[in-house]
Amino acid sequence: MDRNGRTRHPPPRVCTAVLLFGICTAFARSADFELPPLNSPPTTETHPGKMLWADLVTPDLAAAEKFYGGLFGWTFQSLRGGRSDYALALLDGRPVAGLLQKAIALGEHRQSAWLTFLAASDIDSVKRLAVSHGAKVLADTKLYPMRGRQCVLSDPEGAVFALLASSSGDPPDYLPVTGEWIWSSLHAKDAGSEAGFYQNLFGYDVFELPSDDGLNHLILSTDNYARASTNDLARGSARRHSHWLNFVRVENAAASTAKVLALGGRVVVEPRMDRHGGMVAVVADPAGAPFGLMEWSDSDTKEEPK
Amino acid sequence: MKITASRLLASGLGAMLLVLLYACAVTGVEGSVGYDGGYYEPYGYDYGGWGLGYRVGPSRCCDHRDDHRDVHREDHPGNRGGGRAPAYRPAPAGRSAPSIPGRSRTH
Repeated sequence: MDRNGRTRHPPPRVCTAVLLFGICTAFARSADFELPPLNSPPTTETHPGKMLWADLVTPDLAAAEKFYGGLFGWTFQSLRGGRSDYALALLDGRPVAGLLQKAIALGEHRQSAWLTFLAASDIDSVKRLAVSHGAKVLADTKLYPMRGRQCVLSDPEGAVFALLASSSGDPPDYLPVTGEWIWSSLHAKDAGSEAGFYQNLFGYDVFELPSDDGLNHLILSTDNYARASTNDLARGSARRHSHWLNFVRVENAAASTAKVLALGGRVVVEPRMDRHGGMVAVVADPAGAPFGLMEWSDSDTKEEPK
Repeated sequence: MKITASRLLASGLGAMLLVLLYACAVTGVEGSVGYDGGYYEPYGYDYGGWGLGYRVGPSRCCDHRDDHRDVHREDHPGNRGGGRAPAYRPAPAGRSAPSIPGRSRTH
């Protein structure tokens, strides 16, 4: 109010400046965050249904970096922007995974987890197909210009996975080195139905493998390479739900399991022989996110199918 | 009076726009803000309990399906619904289950 009783307003120029500052600040925040490409240099390859990335969601990024760095020798590059605290995990300078810190609301119980990304160059068609076969969209398609377009879905049994149309092409088919993802398995109430669902999306060849436990264990392949397995959930507990599990290649599963314990993680499935003749184990990081360890000697792949 | 009211309205609208823009930046409503790649699973589930013979990995190249075509026999416990056809199209019987890529990365 001035002495004549009139309300004083800031001059229009000041209002405009404040408005412009606000707009610039908001867009600067949005422009900060950019994921790097999967492949550098880019490839022209497409491998629908290939597991090509994994993101961890955790309430404690620093603790996760300490754990995975100690276990696999991963190093981390911090990417901060917007509301995200994200670390890119690198192995010998190559991106191998992402670690995202997300707060869990007070009073909420949520399980830290690794999210499995499957290659889908035509992401819109695959997403539509998935929804028409009973999937739900948990996070709709979003573009990260250098990384690509991605969305998060849950399959008909509720197992959560993501689709990624990589801007830099799909990674070539190499034998992963120690410390890289080597395998993914889906554990479901009905492995056969789930195999059918994913076959519809990616055109997988589905191979039935012999089992000693009376459960279905199926191999999903494309390009004449095994990409993943679908497995009936193990019996004996009511507290199971359908989920994807990703395995990192290790030299020695028993030694890595001991390291997991020393770093504050826990063992979920003790090391055991799997069908390729190497040991596998399932462990969980300090926040409880489960993942697998798999030994694979270079001679395990006896014949190059391609 | 009229001018005062319109100025008040303009200031109010400006403030609302600012709040809206900031909220979008913080909550990620705008397309490229932040990152949505992580997803928490429900809490309290059991990921273990694998019995003997519970094998999830790839085979060595190559397992011949002809040797175990009885996996989908009608009384197989893994086949819910007895003789129901599988929900997937099995690979041709003569084909072997492939393994993972064996080629090493060269720098």
